[in-house]
Formats: sequence, C-alpha cells, structure tokens
Amino acid sequence: MIIGILGIIIGVLIGFYIPVTFPTSYSLYLSVSILAAIDSVFGAIKASMEGYFNSTIFVTGFLGNAVIAGLLAYIGDKMGVPLYYAAIFAFGSRLFQNFAIIRRQLIEKFSKK
Amino acid sequence: MAKFFSKLNILLLTIILGIAISFQIKNLNPKYKYVPLKVIYDYKKVIQKEKAEINNLRPLIESYKEKIQAYETAKDKDGDITSLLKNEISQFKTISGFTDVQGPGIILIIDDGSRKLYEGEDPNNIIVHNIDILNIINDLKVAGAEAISINGQRVLSNSEIDCNGPTIKINGQLFAQPFIVKAIGEPKHLEAAIKAPGTYGNLLKEVGLFIEVNTSINIRIPKYSEDLTFDFLQVKEGD
Repeated sequence: MIIGILGIIIGVLIGFYIPVTFPTSYSLYLSVSILAAIDSVFGAIKASMEGYFNSTIFVTGFLGNAVIAGLLAYIGDKMGVPLYYAAIFAFGSRLFQNFAIIRRQLIEKFSKK
Repeated sequence: MAKFFSKLNILLLTIILGIAISFQIKNLNPKYKYVPLKVIYDYKKVIQKEKAEINNLRPLIESYKEKIQAYETAKDKDGDITSLLKNEISQFKTISGFTDVQGPGIILIIDDGSRKLYEGEDPNNIIVHNIDILNIINDLKVAGAEAISINGQRVLSNSEIDCNGPTIKINGQLFAQPFIVKAIGEPKHLEAAIKAPGTYGNLLKEVGLFIEVNTSINIRIPKYSEDLTFDFLQVKEGD
C-alpha cells in the first residue's frame, strides 16, 4: 500500500515536470482509463489485505482495464453512444465497494488490537 | 525474489497512473486551450498585418530622426532653432491653406443657362445650385486638385457651400453667379474632370447651364481670409 502511494506521488511529480501535453480531444479517454487504473489499484489493496494478492492479475487487470475503458469510450464516441458512462458506472461502483471492504478490514484490524 | 518483482510491478504501474493523472490535470488547466487551425491562421494573418504596419512605420521613424538631426545641427550652428521652426510654420500654413499659392491649373466659370425654357419647364433646371458647385468641387478633388477657390474664397475642409436664395454662401460670404472656380493641379486632369462625357460638369452643360473651362500655366489662389475659431475642438494628448 505504501509503495503504491509512493509510486503515485513519484508519477505525479514526473508528469508535472516533463513538458509533454496531448490534445484535449483525447482527455475523455484518458480520464476513463485513469478511473479504471485507480479501480485496479484499489482492487489490489483489497486483495493484499485479504491475503491473496497476485502480481500477474494486478498487472494484467491494471493495463487491460485501462486500455479497454479508453477503447470503449472511443468506440462509444464514434458510434454516438456515450459508452464511457458504462465504464464510469462499473469502475466507480466497484471502486466504492472495494473501498468499503478495505475500510472494514482496517477497522477490524485496529479493533482487534 | 518474486515478492520484489511484484513490488516493482506495483511501483511502475502506480508511477504510470500518477503520470496519467498529472497529464489529465495539466490538460484540464484553463491555461491550455484547444486552438483550431482556423484560429491559428487568423492570428497569423493579424501578425502579418501588424508586421506590415511596423514596416510602414519605419520610414516615419527615419524621417523623424532626420528632423531631430536637422534641429540639432541648426542649434549647433546658430545657437537656436527659430529659423527652422519658422520654415516649418510656413510649410504648415501652406498645407492648411493660410498662404497665397500659385501653380498650373484651371479656371472654371459656371453661370445660369441663357436658353429659353420649354413650355412648362421648371426654371430651376437652368439655374446654378449649391449642389452643382459641391459636386464639381468634389470632382476636382478626385482629379487631384491641390487648392481650390470659388470667387476668391479659399475652399478648406470646413468651408460651407450653402444655398442662400439666388446666391450661394461660401465661408460666410454671399456670392451671386457667375461662379469662378480656380483649382491648382494637373490642368489636363482637372479639365477632363469637368468636360469629359459622363461627368457632372458635362451633364450640367447638356442641361443648359453655362460652363467654361480654361487651363492656365499659372493661377493664383488667395489664402483663407475669414477667421477660424474652434469652440468644441480639443487637442487629444497621446494616441
């Protein structure tokens, strides 16, 4: 968990310092991909707390979810169907579920002591 | 070892996530704006225009520098710049019409027509009106007249040419026909502006007014002799 937060902080710093920007028209796809990635990170935290964390699953889930979410948003845009709502809904609801489980685990851990 | 790799994986992926998040934040920054090609093109055009204007202004700067140089040399030589300023004043007076001027040009005589009226014809048709004079003056200006006078009254930018019954008011003075218009400029052009078919002067002649144009190699046009007062005008400082 600590290593994850550290990674995000390092990433944000790197991202702010490298002078690269991308067209605003792709902003939507990136935002959906970020949501998917955050969902994967939460899932990984949950899994590590429950003790069955698998790095392969995490890596494939992280990359696959991000790519599929971005692609889905793109295809939806091309078809005129706002498919990114589906991605936001699915990943968003799972993110909150995962967070709820993590919170419960943490509370149980602290109340046991 | 496997644990180390999994931690490395997590670190790398979260770094990617952080980079993506910061990109997104940077992108949504209002400082960065989506600029279509057309806007860039428009800006380019504006820049080109401004550059052309700057290039036009450069000779102006040069001329002002020369002027300053002239002032400085005059100051060094005579100790003061009065003579230079006097020269300048006379130059401005010539431009604004406060000196007598002479040069090649035309003398134009306009008078009421002397033909008999048709039965029931409006006598206004063969009478000179202020609008006729105005149109002819404008034609002369188009043809490049540098100084114009009517019956000895210098025509300036504020000279009125007003209908006043049987007379015409110019610079506050009343004049009856005939009207003698003098104009300095290229005589051929000025003559053509009155005489050529299709011009206003030609039309008047066809209708029956008396119009006569004489070119001359030397015409004297007097200075503006009335007083000129400004009640509302103020000089604006700066641009």
